[in-house]
Amino acid sequence: MNTINTLIIDGLSFTLPLFIMAIGGIYSERSGVTNLAIEGLQGFGAFFGALAATLLSGFFAASSQIPMYLAMLFAMLGGMLYAMLHAVLCVKFKADQVISGVVINLLAVALTTFLTSQLNASVFGAPSNKFVLGTSLRFSIPGLSKIPVLGAFFTNLYPFELVILAVAAFAWYVLYKTPFGMHLRACGDNPHAVDAAGVEVGKVRFAAVMISGALSGLGGICFAYSISGQFSPAIYMGYGYLAIAALIFGNWQIMPTFFACLIFGFARSAGFALTQALDLSAAFSDLFMTLPYIITLLLLVFFSKSNHAPRALGEIYDKGKR
Amino acid sequence: MENHEEYIVEMRHITKRFPGIVANDDISLGIKKGEIFALLGENGAGKSTLMSMLFGMYEPDEGEIYIRGKKEHITSPNQATKLNIGMVHQHFKLVSNYTIAENIILGIEPMRRAGLFPVVDIKSTNKKVAELSRQYGLEVDPTAKIEDINVSIQQRVEILKMLYREAEILIFDEPTAVLTPQEIDFLLKIIRGLREQGKTIILITHKLEEIKQVADRCAILNRGKLVDILDVASTPTQIMANLMVGREVEMALEKSKPHFEQEVLKVQHLTVKNRDGFPVVKDVSFSIHAGEIFAIAGVSGNGQTEIADAVAGMCRVSEGTVSLMGQEITHSSVRDRNDLGVSYIPEDRQAVGLVLDFDLADNLALKSYYKPPFCEKGILHADAFDQYGSKLIEEYDIRSGQGIHTITRSMSGGNQQKAIIAREIELDSKLIIFVQPTRGLDIGAIENIHRQILKERDKGKAILLVSLELEEIMALADTIGVVFSGELLKIAPADTMTTNEVGQFMMGVKQE
Amino acid sequence: MKNKKTNPFLRRFLSIMGDEKRQKITIPILAILLSLLAGAVVYLIMGKNPLKAYLSFLQGAGLFPKGNYAAKRSMVTDLMSMLNAWTPMLLASLSVAVAMRSGLFNIGVSGQMMLAGLVATVTIGYSPLPAVLAKPLVVLVAVLVGAAASALIGFLKYKWNINEVVSAIMFNYIIRYTVSFSIKSFIADPISRQSRAVGPAARLSLMDTEIGGLKMDIPLGLILALVSVFLVRFLFQKMKLGFEFRTIGANPRAAKYAGIHVGRNLILTMTFSGALAGLAGATYFLGYYGSIQPDTLISTGFDAIAVCILGNSNPLGILLASFLITVIDKGGIYMSSTVGVRQEIGALITALILLFAACGAFFRYFIAARRQQMLDADHAEKKEAEV
Repeated sequence: MNTINTLIIDGLSFTLPLFIMAIGGIYSERSGVTNLAIEGLQGFGAFFGALAATLLSGFFAASSQIPMYLAMLFAMLGGMLYAMLHAVLCVKFKADQVISGVVINLLAVALTTFLTSQLNASVFGAPSNKFVLGTSLRFSIPGLSKIPVLGAFFTNLYPFELVILAVAAFAWYVLYKTPFGMHLRACGDNPHAVDAAGVEVGKVRFAAVMISGALSGLGGICFAYSISGQFSPAIYMGYGYLAIAALIFGNWQIMPTFFACLIFGFARSAGFALTQALDLSAAFSDLFMTLPYIITLLLLVFFSKSNHAPRALGEIYDKGKR
Repeated sequence: MENHEEYIVEMRHITKRFPGIVANDDISLGIKKGEIFALLGENGAGKSTLMSMLFGMYEPDEGEIYIRGKKEHITSPNQATKLNIGMVHQHFKLVSNYTIAENIILGIEPMRRAGLFPVVDIKSTNKKVAELSRQYGLEVDPTAKIEDINVSIQQRVEILKMLYREAEILIFDEPTAVLTPQEIDFLLKIIRGLREQGKTIILITHKLEEIKQVADRCAILNRGKLVDILDVASTPTQIMANLMVGREVEMALEKSKPHFEQEVLKVQHLTVKNRDGFPVVKDVSFSIHAGEIFAIAGVSGNGQTEIADAVAGMCRVSEGTVSLMGQEITHSSVRDRNDLGVSYIPEDRQAVGLVLDFDLADNLALKSYYKPPFCEKGILHADAFDQYGSKLIEEYDIRSGQGIHTITRSMSGGNQQKAIIAREIELDSKLIIFVQPTRGLDIGAIENIHRQILKERDKGKAILLVSLELEEIMALADTIGVVFSGELLKIAPADTMTTNEVGQFMMGVKQE
Repeated sequence: MKNKKTNPFLRRFLSIMGDEKRQKITIPILAILLSLLAGAVVYLIMGKNPLKAYLSFLQGAGLFPKGNYAAKRSMVTDLMSMLNAWTPMLLASLSVAVAMRSGLFNIGVSGQMMLAGLVATVTIGYSPLPAVLAKPLVVLVAVLVGAAASALIGFLKYKWNINEVVSAIMFNYIIRYTVSFSIKSFIADPISRQSRAVGPAARLSLMDTEIGGLKMDIPLGLILALVSVFLVRFLFQKMKLGFEFRTIGANPRAAKYAGIHVGRNLILTMTFSGALAGLAGATYFLGYYGSIQPDTLISTGFDAIAVCILGNSNPLGILLASFLITVIDKGGIYMSSTVGVRQEIGALITALILLFAACGAFFRYFIAARRQQMLDADHAEKKEAEV
């Protein structure tokens, strides 16, 4: 019983940051810009958020939760700013999108590692390669958490889980229900049609990549709070790439991607739980971690016909070309 | 001076130059409200350029445009839309995974409130689109997705897009090129309906027949110049045709009597399916002899390209057989056919026929690089490439900036095509396939290529020619096959058929 | 605007950069200069002397003598140690280049390196075989494993049209976790928590070997790497197969039209690329490093993509580019100790170089546009003068 509880609680707290990063990826890729930079975006966002939290924490009581919310806000801001680099390279400079993504990831690791060490040394006067974050309080929803088994979905929640759900719902609304979302999705299918409709493809894509950065940054800082309670180069665990796997699995749509993230998150926590329950060595959880990737590959092999990337994905839009 | 007030659109002394050519040379014309005005001319006559300026995609170098008597600088399609001008392009601009209604409102979405949040109002759009569709007899279902509907309906979506934006002046750029005869009839009916509702229509085309059917007046363009503006009803078709082609280009091709020798290519019951499993070539049989030009005539998209591809080995054959010199090659690789003697000048010279980033020498050896003297034991000999390239440049008069080391991307279209033809002819194959060999080229280059085709035929090659230009087919063919909707409707010696008859088969009308 | 004089410096710059044939070389150099400039600004902000810093990079990499050396150490020691690190980087970059020239993106080099390293370590690394047998076997096993892992990516693309970037990312992580599992379960060193160090017989670098009174690391794999550079160059310049690869890379439709078997060549390209990645893995895990770290995907494969871009996918370009990147990487440690700036700045400068290199298309466009502007202005001026 207890194992199942842990499984659900951990599964959910991993699923949701992954989900919001994947939504970020969906925004970028549905607009036609390949985004392998999620890994770097979430790392830079988390760095920015953690830095803000560290700098601002002095103004608040030690137990205050406000720095955490500020961290989330700044993580989104940082992710967004950093994503502008990808947007400029891909949209304005017409660089190869895959290459840009790879380079941005490399730069994120180098930049945040350097800055973290340097700032720790020069501003805070302590040689360290991490920012320690306060711990996030957790809460249970009264009533609902008492339901047998399923109550675990409402138990020991991080506040960020609710924030993510709210942001995700809003992201869904924007993508599917507003003119901007319509333009964005059209850009990924036939940018010429968007251009003919009098909407600037470049602007839409630029915005999409920036949103992608904000959402990735949010995901990154949430991982920083839930997994380690700190920001360090260890944030580059490859979850950004896992988010890409999730959005491919989810066929570039938000709801199916949510289920993909649930599967991935629970495969992970079930792996941990199973290793414990069967008294296996901790190394076995590594084996379980391969599952999301193997499942995605198999899906691509067997359902490659029904899995459709946006038609104009990766295509550099050139107005003159017809 | 004529009466300018009756014109809804007036273009005065329009000149537009592109590097190397004058696309429009001092063209003046006026279009009356509520008429169907046709722009007639051959490929490259400057029709599309002229209308692109009216729609704001280019700006004229010289001259002025007046809309409803007011001088306008139209700098973007957006601005053209504001002036109630709409255009249906040859390539539709539709989002494939959106519904028809969603495509129509793209960029000007109507909103409604759902609780706190404003959302795009699809429901009312569906209603409005359905209404418009009924009003103009367009027969579309606003909730259908673009990827599920055929080209003809997609075109109607483009028309609806204009109507939804309250366009009064509607430009159609070669609207019938992609349609079947029935669909053409339907479209022409729609166009007449639009005129009845008071719209002004500009029809860009090179098909006389359509103009005869619907247009009120017709401007004829030839090589960037306005030849004449005619009243369609009172002008015989023959006169319009002469004006369009221009007397000076009526070239006399010296064509000797054909000497058919042994059978080179035999195609039997050929069926080719497209990616969706839909047959695009249906049970096609024909044969070509040495010394024979077999020309396939037909409206674009009726399976002719696929027939050529199937013979060349570029696409999979579902049923039937293809044999060369008595040897079956139905499923042979492209390379094997190449070695057995098939040359192929493909339709899309830049995307298929050349590697644009390679230099001329590499491209000229693209079909023979793996054989001695170019390659021995897997090692290439650069000097062989160079010598061969220089020889071909000389013999075929291929002009380029830096000789064999010119990157082909930087060459003119005519010289690119010369390079492809040189390469394919030089292979000394038994069968040479030409698909649209003169598309987009100027008159001089066309003439040159026609002579080359005849020369090869006289050397005893079997030639398969696919062309959309009926005149080209009539000038060159010894035998004509007409395709319609994937089937070969008629095969006959060229001298037994008139242009008119071929044209009718192309429309699928004269069933036997 | 029209008559605005282009200033002489810009004029000179444009005329040097404008030559499209030379841009293959001039643009990467511009990227490097810009990054070094940016790095210099960072040093200045921190109140350090950038020239001294850059010199210490060279000193640390053994390209310039330091003030003093410990016993049995000299510039050569540092140089050899840098070359030891250079070997896998060079091979990994070649691996990316082979795929890139054929229009494929092998983002899976890191995974292929790790898998090859793991299998070679487990099968040969701990065996009692003598060096003459063990070393060639390590190379053979690693090459085969790398080739197979990469060929699978090619096969998935050929058979089911699965984008190679996507499947390679999946494989990277499948391999990463599998390798971690294997190390922790079977071959972990209880103290370092990495895999147990491979035996000296199987190791491709002779570590801490004394020659002429100096102790140094001798990367035997470097010979293989240099040979590979010339083999790859030969493949693409002189061989029929290379011509076919290039054709597919430049225009797959034209390649099919020319009678080239695109699918088969696609798998073959990935196989070659993977073989080089495997060799890179061997020289990294059984040469330079000597063991494998769990829980991380090495960054070499990703750096290699960037090196490949900087080197224009050209073997000789890659030779220089990977050398430069390694110098910055290895020299950073010494720079850090002498100048007192975190060594991570090395990675930062590297990343900046790659970032600017990725902007190559933009530079080309920008330069062409400005040059045209200048020429137009000159032309107009000349006309005016004539009138």
